[in-house]
Formats: sequence, structure tokens, C-alpha cells
Amino acid sequence: MTDTLSMPRPKNAAPWVNLGGRVRLASWVASIAPSAIFVAAWLGLQLDFMAALLTIFLPIQLAFGAWAGFYSYGRKGVNDGLLVVVTIFFSTFVLVLLGSVLWSVISEGAAALSPHFIYQNNRYITGTTGLELGGAGHAILGSIIITGITTLITVPLGVATAVYLTETRDGARGIVRTLLQALAGLPSVVAGLFIYSMLIVSGWSSQVGLMASLALIPLMLPTISRVAEESLRLVPTELRNGALALGAPSYKAFFMVTLPAAKTGIVTAILLGVARIIGETAPLILTAVIANETNVNPTAGGMATLPTYIYNFLYLGDATSLQRAWGAALVLLIFVGILFVGARIASATRVGTKPKRRKK
Amino acid sequence: MSNDVAPKRLKLVSKPSRTADKVFFAVAKAAGYSSFVLVAAILFFLMLRAWPAFESQGVVNFIFGAGWNSTSDPQVFHMGPMLYGSLLIAAIGVALAVPMAISISYFIAFMATERLAKVATVIVDLLAAIPSVVIGLWGLGVFSPVAAEWGRMLSEALGFIPIFSNAVDIFLRSPFIASLVIAVMIVPIIASITREIFSQMDQEIIKGAMALGGTRESIFRKVILPTASGGIVGGVLLALGRAMGETVAIFFVLNLTFDEFNWFKILEPSGGAVASLVLARFNEALQTELSALLAAGVVLFVVTLIVNTIASYIVDKAQPWRKL
Repeated sequence: MTDTLSMPRPKNAAPWVNLGGRVRLASWVASIAPSAIFVAAWLGLQLDFMAALLTIFLPIQLAFGAWAGFYSYGRKGVNDGLLVVVTIFFSTFVLVLLGSVLWSVISEGAAALSPHFIYQNNRYITGTTGLELGGAGHAILGSIIITGITTLITVPLGVATAVYLTETRDGARGIVRTLLQALAGLPSVVAGLFIYSMLIVSGWSSQVGLMASLALIPLMLPTISRVAEESLRLVPTELRNGALALGAPSYKAFFMVTLPAAKTGIVTAILLGVARIIGETAPLILTAVIANETNVNPTAGGMATLPTYIYNFLYLGDATSLQRAWGAALVLLIFVGILFVGARIASATRVGTKPKRRKK
Repeated sequence: MSNDVAPKRLKLVSKPSRTADKVFFAVAKAAGYSSFVLVAAILFFLMLRAWPAFESQGVVNFIFGAGWNSTSDPQVFHMGPMLYGSLLIAAIGVALAVPMAISISYFIAFMATERLAKVATVIVDLLAAIPSVVIGLWGLGVFSPVAAEWGRMLSEALGFIPIFSNAVDIFLRSPFIASLVIAVMIVPIIASITREIFSQMDQEIIKGAMALGGTRESIFRKVILPTASGGIVGGVLLALGRAMGETVAIFFVLNLTFDEFNWFKILEPSGGAVASLVLARFNEALQTELSALLAAGVVLFVVTLIVNTIASYIVDKAQPWRKL
């Protein structure tokens, strides 16, 4: 907080170090005084928090910020002070909102979580059944199966698309890239309607898990191909050319040199792709019946997933149902978090390192 | 193809098989063209099933008219209020989200200490990946009562402005709340793009501006924003597409009104959203209504396709370092 008024400057630029005292004093005053006045006014006058924040705190803080800027840098510092105040105010507001999402999922979810919540299914559970019975086990299984099938289909397709975009010199690459970016913004409900109109209305299949997997493909494909494309592009051309110069055919050069070098990027692509689809709700509601029992057969019978489980209990809306929904949301958040951390670790590893020599 | 390396005339002791290469490139090409097939198939099959609805309702009436009733005779399926509601909510959500997203990105990139920046980055990036159903759960269970209270205060303080007037005295399930929930959903999306652009920005330009006597504010206004503006606009349009296609989160925090347009009274509990319409009517829909829902899907797809194409074009233009 002490040095927010100045841009980061080179360490050896000493001349204006003397400014530091004034800046520091002004920053301290401007960051403490308005909050103190606000707290006093809020507690003293018994005002509503949001109203007081907007009508008392923000104007005072802006005035103090402008004063601090003026005191530190003269007339042109006024705008700096205002900018700093506005930025910190909005940032705090956003972080509080986003933090509230995380915190409510974690705290409310932890209350509902228990060992049997992980492995029991939902049979004989109604909205009023206590939390000591039933769980999201079937939904976790369903999520894994449906996401797994989608991943099995989409990863080869997405990586091959990335290969098409990086390794070939085909004329249609620009259009394909544009189409993929357009697909990235495809509303998920439309993906569900697509599979519904293509395969279910025409009577080829009923609403089963496999259909849900298919509906997720157009949602996962753009993520995988984009991230994989970027990681393949990071592999130095010399590496490829070296392999080709040694007489390797293109496909061998790709599988033995380029792909191992881009391995971590591909892993990141897969993890981000799974994270993208694991929380999709709308297409699953349209394409698969939300089952209450454990079903591991994707070609027959309904199948529940974590998002549809949450949706289902959110729809019922009783107190215990909501608790179940929070519990499942926490499980889902943990899944997303694991994928997210995995992707971070994978992408932190340097791309393009030499593949380890395998021992025979 | 890319065999610009292997010389043709060179005689190799063991000739590499060209068929394997051909297969390899054919597979890659097929995968590349599969996205054509996918987009074409989506449009074709949706249109095929949606055509009866377009035909019976009339395309213009279907898109712009008001009213949705499967029990009347003849049945009426007009998605005008839903489409307008989608656009309204997305527009307000984006208008709320943009200042917040730019602030948080500027905060992370140029103001926060390293540790604070790291924490904020993790929160923002994790929230960008959080499922929308969880946002819906949070919106219904935690945020709606709070936001309804904000709406009540707004209406009491500024009720003389028509936008904030509320005749029914119910503040839950209004477009205002839906927009706030959408804003919470898309702030991380815009922020992660903006933050990346800010952090990739050439430090020399900023230092140069500082050496010329620029202040924090003037550098932000005259150097950072103009340089990043294209990327920010692209991110905003991407978020707009996401906001219009959002289904579950809006479904739980918005009261859908099919019969009339809610033009601007954002605090009243009536609004529309195309994707939520599909979700709300899908289970009870019979054949003709189903066709109308699919037609609504077609309209939604086309609208988001246009928005996203513009977005990706702008993002590409704004990030020259991403180009090959």
C-alpha cells in the first residue's frame, strides 16, 4: 500500500528517492483516514453497508486519493490518486465477489460432504430425505464416464487438427482456425440441441450417456486444438528439420521428435479441455435423462453427472436439496481445481526440452 | 505439403515409405476439415428440425414477435422478448464487467505486490474455469437476496428515473440480478485476456513514457489503454457471446416473461433469455414446440457466431505476437 502512487521504477534510479517520504506519508493517510471515517459513520449512524460504502466511503476516499496525489506530485498527481482509488475499489469489489463464490462453495459444501456422499447413489432419495442418506457417487461415476468418452474421441481429433494447423501448409487453415474460434463461443445449449435434433429426434437413440458425450465434443474441440496448436508451434523448426534431414519420414519426425517435445503442452491441452466440459450442464440435460441410480452403461438408461446432479437438486429447492447441491458443487470444484493445478504444473514445465532417452 | 526439406534427387539407402506420410497428412487434413463438417452439421440438422417452426410462425414474427403459448389455437411461438432479454442482460452484464475487469487486470499487472498479484491471478483464473451451474447455485442461494436488497435501495433512491422504477415491489429474479450474476461470470474471462495483454506489454514503451514525464494516470490513458484496446474489445465480445449463450445460471435467477417485452425496467422481475427459454420449456415440449425451441437455438447460434467471428478477428489483429 505504501508505494502505490508511483510506477515501478528501475532500482538504480536514485534521484527521486527523496520523494519517498512525502509519498509514503500521503499514502498512509489516504489509505487509513477514509476507512476510519467510514467505519465510524457506518457504526455510528447505523447505515446500510452498501449504501454507506457508495455514498460515504467512495467520495471521501476519492477526495483523499486526489489530495494524496496532489501532496505527492503536485497538480498532475491528482488524476493518479483518483486512478489508484478507483482501481483498488473496483478490484476489491471484484475480489470480494469472486472470493464469495469460492468461499460459499467451500463452506456450504464442506457441511454436506461426508464419506457416504462420495460413494452412495441417489435411489429412494427425495427432497426431504436427510443428509445422512444418499450421495453423489453415481453422478461422480457418470461425470467420469461421460467426460472420459468425450476425451477419448476429442483428444485425437483435436491434436490432429492442431497438426493440420501447424505441420501442413494447406490453404484452408485460416478458415479452419476462424471456425474453431467461432466454435469456442458456441452456446452449450445449442450443442445439446444439435445432438438432440440429429440423433434423438430421428429415433437413432434415446437420451443416454453416450449422446451426452457426443454433445460435448464441439465444446471441447476448440480448447484442445487451440492449446495443442500453440504448444506444437513452440517446438523449434530446427528440431523438425533435423529429424527430416536424418531421413525420417514426416510422420516419424512428428511422432518421435515434435510430439515428445510438445508433450507437456498437449497434456495441458487435455486438462484444460476436460476442465472446460466437466461443468457443462445444459447439453447434458437435453441429451441424457438424469438418473438417480448408478449406471455405468453409456448406451442404455439415463446417467447423472455432477452438474446435472446440482441442477436437479437446485431445481427441487428444499433446504436439504440445496445442501446436496452445495456438496456436489464442492466435489465439482475440487475436480476443476485438480485439473487447473495440473494444467499449471504441466505448462510451467519448459516446452521444447529434449526428450529423455529411453533405455531398452 | 511441408516436405520442403527432404531433397528429391538424393538417393537414400533405405527409402522412407511415402504412403505412411500420405496417410499421416491425410488424417491431419481430415481432422482439420472436420470442423467444417461439424459447423455445417450443426446448422443443417438444427435447421432441418427447426424449419416447421419457421414456416408456421414466419421468420420475422418468430424472431421479433412476442408471445409463447403451446395451448392456444393456433399455437404461438415468438421469441422476441427472449432475444431482446438476452441482449439486454448481456449488454448490462458486460457494461458492469468491463470496468471491473480492467481494474483488476491493471491492479494485478501494475500495482499489486508480487504475492498479492499471484493470489488474485489464481482466484481470477480459477473463477474463469468454474462451471456456470455453480455460479447459478451461488446466485440463487447467496447472491440473489443481497442483490435484491441492492435493487430495492436503487429503486428507493433513484426510482424517479424510469429505468429504476419498480411497480410490483418484488426485486428478486429481475434482469438486474441476472446481469450481476453474468458480470461475475464474465469478469474472469475478460480479466484473464486483459491481464495477459497487460503483462505482455512492452515495458520499454512504459518506461519511455515515464521518462518523458508521464504520470500513472496519463500512461494508463494514453499508452496502456490504446495499446491494449483491441485485445480488450475482443475479450469483451467473447464474453458477450458467452453471456448470451449462458443457460443455467440465468435460468435460476431470472423470471422469464414470454408475452411482452420488458424494454428497460431492469429492477422488475420479468425478463428473457433464449438459452433459458430452451431449458425451461424443453421437458414439457411436444413436437411443434420442440421445433420452435430448436429454431430458437438456430437464432441463438447465428447471433453468437456473428459476435464470435468479429471477436476472434479483433483479437487476432490486437495480438500480433500470437500470429505465426
